[in-house]
Amino acid sequence: MTDEPSSSRPAGIILALYWGSLLLSLTLPWGLLTLFEISAHRRTAGEAFRYLTLHFFAPGYNYFLVGALSAAPFVVCAVFLLFHLGWNDRLEPAQRSRRMAGVLGSLILMTGVTFWTHLSALMYPDAQGALVYFFLPYVLLVVIPLGYGVGRLILAFMTMIRRNDGEPA
Amino acid sequence: MHSLTHRTIWLNLGSLGALVALLGLTYWLHTGPRAVPGLIEQLKDEDATARILAAQWLAKLGPDAKSAVPALVDLALNDPDQDTSAAAATAIHTLDLQASREVVAGYLPALWEADPEVRRKACVVLGSLGPVAKPAVAPLITMLDDTDELVRERAVGALGTIGIPQTEIVAALTKAMRDPASVVRYRAVAQFAFHIPVTATSLPTLMELRNDQDKSVASLAEVALEHAGQTDRQDLSNLIALLERPGEKDYALQQLAQLGPEAADAAPVLIPVLKDSLALNRYLAAEALRAIGPAAEAAVPDLIAALHDPDPIVIESAAEALEAIGTPEALKAIEPMRKENAS
Repeated sequence: MTDEPSSSRPAGIILALYWGSLLLSLTLPWGLLTLFEISAHRRTAGEAFRYLTLHFFAPGYNYFLVGALSAAPFVVCAVFLLFHLGWNDRLEPAQRSRRMAGVLGSLILMTGVTFWTHLSALMYPDAQGALVYFFLPYVLLVVIPLGYGVGRLILAFMTMIRRNDGEPA
Repeated sequence: MHSLTHRTIWLNLGSLGALVALLGLTYWLHTGPRAVPGLIEQLKDEDATARILAAQWLAKLGPDAKSAVPALVDLALNDPDQDTSAAAATAIHTLDLQASREVVAGYLPALWEADPEVRRKACVVLGSLGPVAKPAVAPLITMLDDTDELVRERAVGALGTIGIPQTEIVAALTKAMRDPASVVRYRAVAQFAFHIPVTATSLPTLMELRNDQDKSVASLAEVALEHAGQTDRQDLSNLIALLERPGEKDYALQQLAQLGPEAADAAPVLIPVLKDSLALNRYLAAEALRAIGPAAEAAVPDLIAALHDPDPIVIESAAEALEAIGTPEALKAIEPMRKENAS
């Protein structure tokens, strides 16, 4: 283990992804709910925020827990990205790009699934609707490697296209 | 900053651990019995939704929320908003039987107020107290002759939620099914469709209502009659199974109390409930045994023991159950209480 910094590593980006994904995942359900209250139930921003805080820990609503459950897989992903992108300071630029593409793929897909799930739960509420909040973390855990693979595939595809474009006809 | 050292990685990981711990602590501080002081404060909020939510939350906390009972009684009796008072009453009936009876006593005079709005509110709040509001049944039955149809409709709803004593309730609701206002008939039929078991007394009226001029009443009468066709034995075994589920126990006990002597097979499983930690469950078990009557003879020793229950409402109910069972041993046990009441 070395403590020597390597100026080639995009530390700012890694930390931004690390904290950004954590905070976004935690606040995404709360933000969506606030926006939903404003648009669907015609509340003012203040009223919507009050609605959120009132129901934050209330049994049967527990939006705090909803946010925490939704963020749990992002914690796994954030720890993974911190080590995967930040631990080895001797990565080749191409290898670093591939890893970054994989991590971005995971985060984008996870955010998309989370966004869609929470929005669906708000738009089509029913008695079993809350179950989705318990299943979502497991689904997102599966999405991490899936998104990673997709991200790397897209990068490989783009590199291939760029290479083909650069070749003389 | 353009690079990450291993120290930075560990530092960020530690920060994440601290954030998780902070979130955990926040959750712990805002849930369970620790939430009670904040909820008592919330009961005074100027927003009715906040007050209702606090009352509902306190009800879910159960015995941990006992310290909130005075504030809830105040809310039930004095809040200008009907829904808030009803939510407070619902919470009280799970927390404190005596406080529930205080609310009953507070609302009974309101049933004869000149303002129909006040009478409607009184009916709703009394109904929210559930089976604990049994002493309000007779006055609520008189409200079925009220001049205001919404008062009658709310009284029907209240009688349906109180549910005991079954014979009086069924007779009153059967009468309400013949009310000139369709809104009252609808509410009365809904009780038989979803809450109150259909008996021979209510059956002819329900059959007539299949041809009611109001289509919604007629279709609901069909639903009630479908329920009446189901096998009672199946219902009984389902209710006995529900007794094992903590969240459903009070519901199952109330349903058993409403079945009356037909619930005789449930008597052995009702006996242990007389020692339940929740006074509401002990009360409902005694009420169910009272409704079963002589067939619950095996419960007599435990009902005699229940005469020393810490809750006077449970004692009152146990005494009524012993009287309904009527064996010499049971009657002998309540003799001192009878003499005391007579003097």
